[in-house]
Amino acid sequence: MSKRPFSYKLNIFVFLLPALILFVGVLIAPIILSGYYSLTEWNGLKTPVFIGLENYRELFTSKSINIMRALKNAMLLALLSTFIQLPFALWLALKLSKKPRGERVFLSVYFMPVLISTVVIGQLWLKIYNPDYGVLNLLLRSLGLGNLAPVKGWLGDKKTALWAAFVPILWQYVGYHMLLMYAGIKGVPPELNEAAMLDGCTEGQVNRYIIIPYIRPILRVSVIFAVTGSLKSFDLIYVLTNGGPNHATEVPSTLMINLLFLRNRYGMGSAIAVMLIILCFVFAVLINAVFKEEKGR
Amino acid sequence: MKKFLAILLAALMVLSVAALAEEQITLQLWSIATESDSSHQAYVDAIAAFEADHPNIKIEHNATENEAYKTKIKAAMSSGEDLPDIFFTWGMGFLKDFVDAGRVVCLDDYYPAYADELPQAMATNVTYDGKMYGVPYTMSLVTLYANMDLLAQVGYDHIPTTYEEMQACCEALKAADIIPFGVSGKELWCLSEYVEPLVIKSVGGDALKAMYNGEESWNNEAVVAAIAAFQEMVEKEYFDPSAASLGNDEVKNNFIAGKYAFYQNGSWNNADIGSKAEFAVQAGTFPTLNAELSPYQMIGGPNNTLAVTESCEHKEEAIEAAFYLARFFSDADYKSGANLPCWAADPDAEVSDLVKSAADMAAKAESMVLFGDNFLSADAANTYLDYIGQAYAMDITPEEYVEGLDADLH
Amino acid sequence: MSQKRNTYRAPDVKPPLTAGRVAVYVILVLWALISIFPVYWMLTFSLKNNAEIFGENVIGLPKYWVWENYTRALNTGNMPRYFMNSVIVAVATILITLAASVMATYAITRLQWKGAKSMNKFFMLGLTIPIHASIVPLYTTLARLKMLNSYFALIIPYSAFSLAMGILISIGFMGDIPYDLDEAAFLDGCGVWGTFGRVIAPLMMPAVATVGIYTFLQCWNELMFANTFISKDSLKTLPVGVQALSGQYTTDWGPIGAALSLATVPTLLVYVFLSKQIQDSFIAGAVKG
Repeated sequence: MSKRPFSYKLNIFVFLLPALILFVGVLIAPIILSGYYSLTEWNGLKTPVFIGLENYRELFTSKSINIMRALKNAMLLALLSTFIQLPFALWLALKLSKKPRGERVFLSVYFMPVLISTVVIGQLWLKIYNPDYGVLNLLLRSLGLGNLAPVKGWLGDKKTALWAAFVPILWQYVGYHMLLMYAGIKGVPPELNEAAMLDGCTEGQVNRYIIIPYIRPILRVSVIFAVTGSLKSFDLIYVLTNGGPNHATEVPSTLMINLLFLRNRYGMGSAIAVMLIILCFVFAVLINAVFKEEKGR
Repeated sequence: MKKFLAILLAALMVLSVAALAEEQITLQLWSIATESDSSHQAYVDAIAAFEADHPNIKIEHNATENEAYKTKIKAAMSSGEDLPDIFFTWGMGFLKDFVDAGRVVCLDDYYPAYADELPQAMATNVTYDGKMYGVPYTMSLVTLYANMDLLAQVGYDHIPTTYEEMQACCEALKAADIIPFGVSGKELWCLSEYVEPLVIKSVGGDALKAMYNGEESWNNEAVVAAIAAFQEMVEKEYFDPSAASLGNDEVKNNFIAGKYAFYQNGSWNNADIGSKAEFAVQAGTFPTLNAELSPYQMIGGPNNTLAVTESCEHKEEAIEAAFYLARFFSDADYKSGANLPCWAADPDAEVSDLVKSAADMAAKAESMVLFGDNFLSADAANTYLDYIGQAYAMDITPEEYVEGLDADLH
Repeated sequence: MSQKRNTYRAPDVKPPLTAGRVAVYVILVLWALISIFPVYWMLTFSLKNNAEIFGENVIGLPKYWVWENYTRALNTGNMPRYFMNSVIVAVATILITLAASVMATYAITRLQWKGAKSMNKFFMLGLTIPIHASIVPLYTTLARLKMLNSYFALIIPYSAFSLAMGILISIGFMGDIPYDLDEAAFLDGCGVWGTFGRVIAPLMMPAVATVGIYTFLQCWNELMFANTFISKDSLKTLPVGVQALSGQYTTDWGPIGAALSLATVPTLLVYVFLSKQIQDSFIAGAVKG
């Protein structure tokens, strides 16, 4: 295998070709274009006018755009996702891997919300939260806690809207992470478990010292997915609140769509796109580094 | 034989010329008249009528839901590719961007043929730099719909005519556990249907227009008073408390179901409310805040418009179709009660009481200013709506509202 | 994991019934209920009238089965057509994503060349790119290529956006295939293509399922592109259709429930039949990892 004939290189190229065409044509080229648009003042119709970094300056200083609020919301979602959704998914996966009665049924049921279209989930939760007829308020009323429900509705009240919008997002993807982790745990060689058990380790110790370290690569993927997914989150928030009330649930993506298609500010919208790409990339690299460092120890 | 060939050739030529003349043209029409829209049937009928009159022209109608349509038409206009021949548009700010980009055909050469039926005044919202770019077909006015059965329960047999009477009426309604006003706090334009009448009935039409145009400051006692009045209505809970999580369709249906005493929205609701409400319903206008102004300072105007794209292949035909369809819609929507006509209406047409009241208000109007979010350009319109949303949420004072608009609108 | 092995692990087979275990089981059941409740609720209220939905019978089974909700939902939009469109787009996207990502993975992990690592990192950039960031440039490009209002307007972007995850998953799986197999294949006289086609590709079947599921979820749910790139009614996908339908019946929940159910039930049916395979493929892959 030491010789590298031309045909070998050609083969490499041919194998990469379909992926490269798709990737460069649909992702990279548009992003370079977006990068250029972000340096222009452009309403989508006239010729873009180059204005340098002005959009970025305005983006981070403008009170009416208020990107910091959107970023804070997205970060909150990322934190909730990493420190509540993922641990819960891991807990479920660990318990399910112990083969409780109905393991398969649980597994299938937990994963089910992932399969349902976001639009359907959004519409359903809109109805669950409905101030007049929603199941949530009916439940609270039947428990005698009716006055806990905000008068403006869960998604209409500034104080509750953000949490109410995040709950379906977290709820929907628990099953996805759970299944990934479950798969990982199933991959732990049974000999390892048995040896530890014979040594007198408790279940908690086995989880802590054998299983979790073993499925580290999957945890890494889950964390990256949870964090970048939170930063990019769009569909459910779009259906549930579209950033409202009064921008209380704005995340970068809803802000971007708002600027692009409601305000015709293609330059500014592109600036948010570029910022999002950079943020997601930085976080992915950071998370990778954290996982690598821990492994080194 | 030669003769025969010559005749054959001649016949072939005649046939091919005839074939050329009969060449089928297809025109693409984009609109928001989806199956659930009250204008849908008018579109279907108008296209059928036009095609019957013009056998060689076929119109392909493509309807998209209101909000999605805005995205779609803007994206298409932006790329300049795959554009329809004729498209639905709103006047003023919305169409202006497309006109500025040179995507829309100027209709000045064609308008005179229709001038008798379509008054020049109706074209003001589609005229830029003195040139006309769209064919308006219906106009809309902000209308105060009242559930007279509920009003009767608290002793009113008419829509209150003074601001004080309106306040007393709301208090009486509240005391009887009836929500006075239905509004969607989720869709900001619905809030503007309440704020703008208050403002115009406080400052007058000319001043409001000047403010939209940036020629006059918003920082004016009368505007502050109007916003204060609006916030007072919010604070006194005259609006549905769950408004913030309701969409406009839900609110409208709640009104039709008898949940609110009043619902203030565009006159395009005439048909829906008129046909579905099972109570006595009246259409009127909000009382004036400024006793010196007549209450007939109206928000609204000619708005629903058809325009033709510059890239269109068969311009003559498309322009003819645009005028033809617009005239048809104007008539059909008037008769069905869907909206008020821009074109000279059939005086003998049988129309509902709601449409009569709306036509009456349009006739009495002392001034008419288009909805702010249509008047302003897209960016400014959304900033403007944001301020209305903040005023509704009581996040800002009336003073902050006017100062903010002055600082951020232009 | 065979039954035989389990017999050696007595503690696992008959765990003592402690309070802790009961509590765990209660939580598992509770979460199952929470996971399934919206779907159950949707299916039941799709068959109820408003009186039942709005108070009389909120969470019970319908008393009078209002099948009319379904006829109304079916007659309003073009649901069967939307569903077919979604299926066509999803299947084509999955095939393209699979072919492109498995081939690229082969080039990156099995063929030895200098740029392999950087190429991998380059593709991983795709994980971080928000799908909506490229909507404007994409629209303009698609329009220029006269590809708006065609299945390709969705298939190509969807494939591209699923590619990075496809490659990431495939790399994990391909790393588990022993290199000895390649070398054996080479020694047997298989070329690069032979090795790929006869040895690697068949062993990548578990990855195919995983990538397929991921891709399916991506494109089945997507709303923004579907809304913007497709304006012809005959080409619209399910999310767009459902969203539009929900806007039309705002206070009449029955037909909305019916539309939502129509969009969901077929997926769930497939899942019921394939869930074991779907999960097994996850597990099979992870066992090797």
